[in-house]
Amino acid sequence: MMSTAMATELQLLWAAVAIYTLAGSTAIGATVMARRVERWVLALVVAGLVVHAASLALRWERVGHGPFITLFEILSSNVWSLSLVFSIAYWRVPAIRPSAAVVMPVLFVLMGWMLVSSPGEGHFPPTYRTVWLYIHVLFGKIFLGSVLVAVGLAGIILLRRAGFAMRHTARMPDSVKLENLAFRFMILGFVFETLMLIAGAIWAQDAWGRYWAWDPLETWAFLTWIMLAFFVHARVTLRLRPHHGALFIIAVFVLAFLTFFGVPFVSTAPHKGAV
Amino acid sequence: MNTITARASATAVTVGVAANALRRLASTRLTLLVIALLALGVMLYDPSAGRGAWLLVAPLTLAALNLLGAILSNGVLRRNAALLMFHFALLAIVVLVAAGRLTYLKGQLELAEGETFSGQLTKMESGPWHRSRLEQAAFRNDGYRIRYAKGVKRAETRNAVQWLDDSGQSQHAVIGDHTPLTRLGYHFYTSFNKGFAPVFVWQGRGAAPQRGSINLPSYPIHEYGQALTWTLPGTQTPVWTMLQFDEVLLDPLRPSELRVPKRHSLVLRLAGERHELTPGMQLALPEGVLTYERLTLWMGYTVFYDWTLPWLAAACFFAVAALAWYFWRKFAAQPWDA
Ligand code: HEM
Repeated sequence: MMSTAMATELQLLWAAVAIYTLAGSTAIGATVMARRVERWVLALVVAGLVVHAASLALRWERVGHGPFITLFEILSSNVWSLSLVFSIAYWRVPAIRPSAAVVMPVLFVLMGWMLVSSPGEGHFPPTYRTVWLYIHVLFGKIFLGSVLVAVGLAGIILLRRAGFAMRHTARMPDSVKLENLAFRFMILGFVFETLMLIAGAIWAQDAWGRYWAWDPLETWAFLTWIMLAFFVHARVTLRLRPHHGALFIIAVFVLAFLTFFGVPFVSTAPHKGAV
Repeated sequence: MNTITARASATAVTVGVAANALRRLASTRLTLLVIALLALGVMLYDPSAGRGAWLLVAPLTLAALNLLGAILSNGVLRRNAALLMFHFALLAIVVLVAAGRLTYLKGQLELAEGETFSGQLTKMESGPWHRSRLEQAAFRNDGYRIRYAKGVKRAETRNAVQWLDDSGQSQHAVIGDHTPLTRLGYHFYTSFNKGFAPVFVWQGRGAAPQRGSINLPSYPIHEYGQALTWTLPGTQTPVWTMLQFDEVLLDPLRPSELRVPKRHSLVLRLAGERHELTPGMQLALPEGVLTYERLTLWMGYTVFYDWTLPWLAAACFFAVAALAWYFWRKFAAQPWDA
C-alpha cells in the first residue's frame, strides 16, 4: 500500500510534469508561430519548478536522503535541475528562446522515462554521507544543464542547415553567432564537468581509498571530458564550421546523457558507492 | 672553409633541426591526434584484466611531450598567461600521475580484534619505486561496531584503533567510512570485508604456548560458508573449522548491529574425527593441546599510499582556476546576448 506522503509526492510530481508540458508546448508553439508568449513560458516553467521542488522535498523528508540513488530519483532531480538551468538561460539570454523547441522535447523524453520508472526507495550507503556528494552532484547538474542549453542552439543550427525552421528562427542571430553562443555554454559546462570530476575523485579517495579506479561511470565521464577537450582544440585548430561544432555539441550531450542515466543502471559493476 | 665556420654552420644545423623537432612536437594538430589516441586508449584499457596500461601510458607520454613543446614554443599560449598556466597545470598533472603510479602502494590486510599490524599484507600491488615502510606503520585493531539498517544494509562502521607515535606515546582514534588512519603516508581504510575470528591457544609438545586466531570467511557475504581449513603450527595436521550458531544476528526486518553470537560452538574435524568446542574447551592431540579461547571479529582493511595526492589536488584546482580565468576574460569582452 502506498503511504499518503508518497501519494502526495507523486501527485505533485504529476502536476509539475503537466505544467512543464504546458510550458514546453507553449514555448514550441511560440517558436513555430513566431508569437511572443515567452513571459508565459517563463512563468509556467517557474510554477512547474516550484511544484516539482515541493514533491522532491516531500520525498527527501520521507526517505531521509536526497534524490541521488534510484533511476527515478536521478531522473526527477535532473528534470528539475535541467529545467532550472534552461529557464535561467531563457530568461537572461533572450536570443536563445526559440531553441526551446529543441530543448523541450529532450526534457519531455526525460519526464516520460521518469513517469514509467519505479518510484520505490533505494538504500543510501554510508559512503554517501559526505558533503562531497552534494558538491559533486551540484557541479554535475550545472554541467549537464549548460550542455543542454548548447544543444538547443546546436539543434537550431542543424535544423537551419537542413532547410527547416528558417522562418521560425529568423529572429535569432546567424548560425556563426549561435555557435559562438553555444560554445560559451559548452565551456561553462566544461569548467563544471572538470570540477565534478575533481570532486568525485576527492570523494572516492575519502570513501573507498582510491581517487580513480576506471569503473564504467568514471571511464565514461572522463571520455566526455576528453571529447570536450578535443572539441575545444578542433574548433581553433581546424576552424570548424558552425554545423560541425553543432554536431560535436550533440555528440557530447549524448555521451553525457548515457553516462548520467544509462551507465549506473546497466553496468554490472556499478559506481562503487551505489552498492 | 675553416674549422670555425664549419663548427658554426654545424651548430646552426643542429639548432635548426632542434627547432624543427620542437615545432613538430608542439604542433596543435598533434594535440588533436594525442587527444583522440587518449580517448581510444581509455576505451580499450581494461584494468580488471590487469593489462593494457601502455594504452594510457603511450598517449599520455605523447601528451606530455606535446604540452611541453607547446609551452616552450607556441606563441598563442606564451602570450596568454591564463591559458599557459592551464596547460602547465595539465602537464603537471600528467607528471604527478606518472610519479604516483611509480611509487604508490595498494593492499589489503586483516586484523582480528586485539591484533597488531606487522606489515603483512594479504594482497598487494605497488609501483616499481615504492620503498615500503609498512612495518613502521604498526597499529592495533581495538574492535569495531557496524550498524545495519533494515534489509541488512550496512550503515556506519566505527573501528577503534591504537598506535604508538614517534615519542612512544599511545594514540587512539576511531576510523571508518570516510575516516582513514594515516601513518607515514599510508592511509588505512576499513572495508566491507570482515567476519568472525576464533582465538586459539596451541601448546605443541615441549614448546611454549602460542595464541592466534583464524579469520573465517567474510560475514555476512559468506553467511552459509563459515568454515575454513588451517594447519596446526609446527605440524602438518590440517584442521577443518566451522562456526555454528542459531541466532539471527543481522535481522532483515529491523536495524541491527554486527556482534559475536551469544551462544555458539566450533566444529573441528581433524585426523578423521569430529569435535565440537565451546569457549574454554581443550582438545588433547598427539602433537599437543589445542584450547579454544573465545570468538572475536576481524576487520579487513585496504591500505593506500600515494604521496602525490595533495599536489595532484592542488594542480587540479589551479588548472580549473586558470581555465575559468581565461574564458572569463575572453567572454567578458563581448556580451552574452550578442
Ligand atoms: C595534449 C597537449 C595539449 C597541447 C599541446 C595544447 C596546446 C594548446 C594550444 C597551443 C592552444 C592555443 C590554440 C590557439 O589558440 O591556437 C590551446 C588552447 C586550448 N587548450 Fe590546449 N593543449 C593540449 C591539451 C589540452 C587539453 C587536454 C585541454 C583540456 C582539457 C586543453 C584545453 C584548451 C583550451 C580550453 C584552449 C583554449 C581554446 C579557446 O580559446 O577556444 N588543451 N591548447
